[in-house]
Amino acid sequence: MATDDTALRLLPTRFSRVSIGLVVAVGVLVPFVVSGDFWMTVLVSAGIFAMGAVGLNVLTGFTGQVSLGHAFFLGCGAYTAAYLGAARGWPLPLWLLAAGVIGGVIGGIVGPFALRLKGNYLVVVTLGLVFIGIHIFENWDRVTGGTNGTSTSQAELSLGFTDFRSFSIPGKDFSELQGLYYLVWILAGLFVLVSANIVRSRPGRALQAVRDRDVAAEVVGISLPRYKIGAFVISSSMAAMAGAMLGVQQQFVGPTSWNIFLSIQYVAIIIVGGVGMVSGAVLGALFLGPLPEIVEKYSDKLPFLYEVKGEGGIVSIAAFNEMLFGALLIVFLLFEPRGLAALWLRAKARFRTARSTP
Amino acid sequence: MSLLEVREISLSFGGVRAISDVTFDVEAGELFAVIGPNGAGKTSIFNCLNGVYEPRGSIKLEGLELTGLPPSKIASLGIARTFQNLALFSNLDVISNLMLGRHHLMKTGFIAGALWVGRAKREEIVHRRRCEEIVELLELTPYRRQPIGTLPYGIQKRIELGRALAMDPKVLLLDEPVAGMNLEETEGMARYILDIRDELGVAMVLVEHDMHFVMDLADRLLVLEFGQVIAVGTPEQIANDPNVIRAYLGEAS
Amino acid sequence: MDKFLNLLVAGTALGSIYALVALGFVVVFKSTGTINFAHGGFVLLGAYLTYNYSVTWDLPFIVAMLMAMATMAILAVILERLVLRKLVGQPAFTVIMVTLGLLILIQQVQQSIWSTEVLLDDPWGTDQWELGGVVITQVRFFTVLFAAIVVLGFFLFFRFSAWGVAMRAAAIDQEAALAQGISVARVFAISWAIAGVVAVVAGVMLGADSASVNSTLSFSALRAFPAMILGGLDSPLGAIVGGVVIGVTEVMTTGYIEPNAEWLGQGFHSVMPFVVMIAILVLKPTGLFGSRAVERV
Ligand SMILES: Nc1ncnc2c1ncn2[C@@H]1O[C@H](COP(=O)(O)OP(=O)(O)O)[C@@H](O)[C@H]1O
Ligand SMILES: [Mg+2]
Repeated sequence: MATDDTALRLLPTRFSRVSIGLVVAVGVLVPFVVSGDFWMTVLVSAGIFAMGAVGLNVLTGFTGQVSLGHAFFLGCGAYTAAYLGAARGWPLPLWLLAAGVIGGVIGGIVGPFALRLKGNYLVVVTLGLVFIGIHIFENWDRVTGGTNGTSTSQAELSLGFTDFRSFSIPGKDFSELQGLYYLVWILAGLFVLVSANIVRSRPGRALQAVRDRDVAAEVVGISLPRYKIGAFVISSSMAAMAGAMLGVQQQFVGPTSWNIFLSIQYVAIIIVGGVGMVSGAVLGALFLGPLPEIVEKYSDKLPFLYEVKGEGGIVSIAAFNEMLFGALLIVFLLFEPRGLAALWLRAKARFRTARSTP
Repeated sequence: MSLLEVREISLSFGGVRAISDVTFDVEAGELFAVIGPNGAGKTSIFNCLNGVYEPRGSIKLEGLELTGLPPSKIASLGIARTFQNLALFSNLDVISNLMLGRHHLMKTGFIAGALWVGRAKREEIVHRRRCEEIVELLELTPYRRQPIGTLPYGIQKRIELGRALAMDPKVLLLDEPVAGMNLEETEGMARYILDIRDELGVAMVLVEHDMHFVMDLADRLLVLEFGQVIAVGTPEQIANDPNVIRAYLGEAS
Repeated sequence: MDKFLNLLVAGTALGSIYALVALGFVVVFKSTGTINFAHGGFVLLGAYLTYNYSVTWDLPFIVAMLMAMATMAILAVILERLVLRKLVGQPAFTVIMVTLGLLILIQQVQQSIWSTEVLLDDPWGTDQWELGGVVITQVRFFTVLFAAIVVLGFFLFFRFSAWGVAMRAAAIDQEAALAQGISVARVFAISWAIAGVVAVVAGVMLGADSASVNSTLSFSALRAFPAMILGGLDSPLGAIVGGVVIGVTEVMTTGYIEPNAEWLGQGFHSVMPFVVMIAILVLKPTGLFGSRAVERV
C-alpha cells in the first residue's frame, strides 16, 4: 500500500483549505472595513494574546508541562522592547529577535527544573518565578526603570520600506493601530505555522509522547532533557516576543503587570480555546483576549456593573472581568475540557454526517 | 560473543531484593523466555535492560556496556520493549505511535521541523512507509487513523508490539504480551511473535507467568523465583528440571 | 545579640503564620493529592469575615473569629462538593487550574462585597512587652500561641479522633480505606472544612500583623508555598518546621543580608523564600519530610 501523502499536508481536506483561506482573507480585509480605534485595539490585543497562547500551548498543550511562569517571560520580552527597541533604537527585526532569544535563553535555564519536578511542583516553581521576576523588574532600574517603569513609544516599527506606524498602499492610508494589527497578526500567523509544523513532524511527536507517557517516551529513544527543555525554550521565546509586542502596544512597561493573574489568563485562554490544539490557542485568544475591553465598552448595558463605587450596580467592571476569567476556566474544565476547538470539530462532524445522509 | 550478555545483575528497592545475581545470554535470532510467578522480578529485569533502573552488575549488547546509560540511548542502540500494563501514547493515532518508534532513526530537529522543508518532509515519507508495512504485518489497517484510547485492549497490545518493532531493534523485550487476553487473542499474538522471528529475525526476550504459552514458543527459558535464577535451558530441560518441578510446576498442576 | 533575638522573634511569628497557611494547603493535599490554590482565597475571606462579624456586626472579636471559622468551614465544604468532587480522577493539571479559577472568583467576590482595605480592629493593637532588650508585640505573641494551639489540636485530631484516623488511612491508601468502609467523600469534606477553619486563623493573624486587611492577602498566602515545599507537601509537621524556617530566613534576610547587599534590591526579603524554595526543589524535591512515590511501569 502506498503512503497517502495527503496525510502529510498541513491542511489535508479541501474544506480546511477553503476555511483557512477565508479566515486569512477576512483578516487582511478587516482594517479596510473597521476603522474605529476600539475594535482595532481589541483585535491587536487578541493578536498578541494569540502569539503568547500559541507559545504556552507548545509547553502545556503539547508537552504537558504546566507553567504559571508565562507572565515572567512576557515581561522579559516587554522590557527588551523598551530597552533595545525604544532606549537604544534598534530596528524592529533586531529587537524582536533579541526578545525571542532572551526569552529562549531564560526558558532554557528554567527548563531543567521540569526534569526533576512534575505536576504540582513545577506549578509552584514557575509561580515562584513570577514573584522573583517582579522583584527583578522593580529593582533593575538601569534597564527596567524600576517601579516607575519605562516607555516603549520610541520603539522602531518599520521593516524594509514598511513603517507599521504609518504605511499606505495606493488609495489607502493605515493608522498606527491598523499597522500594529497587521504586524501582530503576521507574527501570530507565523507562530501558528511554526508550531503546526513542529507538531506534525518528529520533534512535535516527541513532545506529545513526553506528555502522554514520559517513561515510554524515553524507552522509544526520546531524550527527556532535550524535549522538555526544547519545549520551554520555544514557549518562552514566543512568550517574550508576544510580551515585546504587548509592551509596544501599551507604550509603557511597568513591573507589576507581569503577575500571576496574567499567567492565569494565558492558561485560561488555551483551556477555553482547546488545550493541545494549535487552533485552540488562537480561538481562545480571539474569544477571551478582547473580553475585558468589550465588557467595559458595553458596561452601561449591564445594570449590575459599575465603574465607580457607589453609583449603583453590585460588581465593578474590573472585578467582573476577572470573575469571568475564573468562571470560564472552571466551566470549561468541568464541562468541555477540550475547549472551543473541540466544539468546532464536533459541529463540523455533525455537518458532515448531515450532508452525507440527505 | 552473544548478542546480549547479562552478568550478575542485582537490584534492591529499599532493602527488598527484587533481583539477585541474575546471569543469562541471548543469542541473535533467538526467542528467549523468562518465566516466574508474580513478583519474581521479571519486569524488574526488563527495567534494568532498557535503563529505567540501574542495577549492579553488567549488561552488554554486542559487547557494549549498557548499565549507566539513559533509556533513550539504550533504545537507539537497539533494545525495544513492550510494557506489561500498556504504555501507549494515548492521545495520538496508531501511525503516530509507530512513528515514535522510529524516532531514534530519524534526524529532523526543532528547526527543520518548524520550517518543514526538505529533509523533514522526505524523512517523514520514508519512515511512514515503513510504519505502514508494520501496520500491515500486524493487521492493524482498520485502526490506523483512530485515537488509541478507544481501541480494545487486545488491539492496543498489538499496537504496542508494532511500536517496538518500528524501532528496528536488535533485541525485542515483550513483557507479558498475552496477559489479560482471551484464547483467540492469545493465539493471534503467538502467531505474530513467530512471524516476527521468522520474517525479521529479531532476537526476543519474552516474559510470561503462564508457562504453557512459552513452552511451545521459546527456544530457551529462564526460570526466576524471588529474584533468583533457578534454571536455564531448552523447554525439555526445563520441563524435567527438579528445581523447576518443585518450585513452579509442582504447585501449578 | 539583641538584634538577632528581636529578628528571631519576628521571624518565628511570621513563620507561624506561614505554617498556619501551609497547614491548610497540606491538609487538602494529603487527602486529595492536589494543591488547592483557592486556599489563598480562604485566608482572604477568613480575615474579611472576621472583620464583618466583629466590626460591622459589632460582635466580640473571639466570637467573630469563631463565626468566621464556621462560615469558612461550610463554604469550603460546599465548594468541594459542588466543584472539586466532580474532578476526582482528573489529571492534576485540571484540578489545579480549577482551584486557580476559584481563587480568582473568591478574590473578586471579596472585592465586590467589602471596600478594598479595612482595619481589623483586633484586640491586640500595637501593645508590646519588653523582655531584656527583646521586644515582643502582643500580636506576635498571640500569633505563635494560636499557631501552637491549632497545631496541637490538629495532631490530637489526627491521632485520636475516629475521623482523624480515617483520614490518615485514606491518605496512605484510598482503595484500602474504601474497603475498610471509610467514606473517602467524607474524608475530603472534612479536610476542606479543616482547611477553611485554619485559614481564618491565618488570615486574621496576617491582617493583625500588618495592621490592615486588603485584597493582596491571598497573594501573601501564596507566599507560604516555600514553607510547604520545604516541609514536603504532604507532611503537617513539615509545614510547621518549614514555615518557621522560612519565616526566620525571611526576617534575617531583612536584618542582615539586605543592608549589606543593596544590589539585591529593595524588598529582597519577600522573594527570599522563593529563592530558598527553588534551591530546595533542586537539591531535594521531596522536601525535608515528604514521602516519595516511585512510578512503576
Ligand atoms: N518501583 C518499585 N518500587 C518498589 N518495589 C518494586 C518496584 N518495582 C518492583 N518492585 C518489587 O520488586 C519485586 C519484583 O517485581 P516485578 O519485577 O514487577 O515482578 P514480576 O514482573 O515478576 O511480577 C516485587 O516484590 C515488587 O514489589
Ligand atoms: Mg511484571
